[in-house]
Amino acid sequence: MLSGDHIKQSFSAALPIMLGYVAIGVPCGILCASIGLNGLQVFLLSALFYSGAGQFMIPNMWLTGSPLASIIASVSLVNTRQMLYSASFAPACKGVKKRLAFLFSATVTDESYGVNTAMFEAGDWSVGRATLVNLLSQSSWALSNVVGVLVGNAIGVPLAIASFAMTSIFICLLVTQKATPANLVAAGVAAAGVFACKAAGLGGPAILVGALAGVAAALAFTWAKERV
Amino acid sequence: MEAMGWGDFLVVLACCAATMLVCRTVPLFALKGRQLPEGVERALGFIPPAAFAALVANDLLSPGMFDAGLWSAAAPLVAAGVVALVAWRTKSLLWCAVSGVVAYALLTLV
Repeated sequence: MLSGDHIKQSFSAALPIMLGYVAIGVPCGILCASIGLNGLQVFLLSALFYSGAGQFMIPNMWLTGSPLASIIASVSLVNTRQMLYSASFAPACKGVKKRLAFLFSATVTDESYGVNTAMFEAGDWSVGRATLVNLLSQSSWALSNVVGVLVGNAIGVPLAIASFAMTSIFICLLVTQKATPANLVAAGVAAAGVFACKAAGLGGPAILVGALAGVAAALAFTWAKERV
Repeated sequence: MEAMGWGDFLVVLACCAATMLVCRTVPLFALKGRQLPEGVERALGFIPPAAFAALVANDLLSPGMFDAGLWSAAAPLVAAGVVALVAWRTKSLLWCAVSGVVAYALLTLV
């Protein structure tokens, strides 16, 4: 059971994500409205699918005339990186009830993964509070999406500038990682891997492939160092 | 452009939501409660720096980024530098988000 203090801690941790989601959720709703989706449809997407990148991709690809199968395959491929986040939370969920672990893992995003990872590393954090961070973030995203549908183009939000809030959150999470040689190898190879994937025309799985390459390189680096 | 009707919408929603749910939950339940080998635990520990670097690189870097001119590619990189400084000094996600948006907005006005 979460106490008032725990709820406050979760809200405080989720606040930067919630504000960022307002900034990019409204333009996402506007984009969805441009292909004829209504408020209920956009809410269902946010509640059941809940993916910023995916929810931008669907209207973008529909507008360019992509077939449904292509939209589904591309969006699913982009979201395969969620498997990494899910795996990394397994130790934290040891001994946690199945329902809570399911709700927690089903509502993880890039941003909430980062915030909750940092909180677990700092200690004194629980899956319950982490789940509340996820749900608060999702509420902000869903509401912002619906607002975007309702206001349409009445609000002129420059998307590139608004979405830089999310990039900034990722930069902060990266900079605050421990600067060990192995972590630097992981980060460097991951970034290079993403660039290489894009250069090869594999933008869809770039994040997953880059991150896996980074993890593999860091493991190889550690093993090589131990052998010396 | 034809609007996306309920039929197409439900197909996209069902397929994307199902694959997303599998990606989000299956690895956690497959590994949860098991004594993981040392190598796996070590690999899991490298996911955060690798994933964050991949996400940042995905947002900031692309092979054709200089095609639209030097400044249009440099502006987000400079703004990212500002955010990195703020992150190093404050470790605050909120300040990083605010400083990043303000820096990027100002740089795009230049």
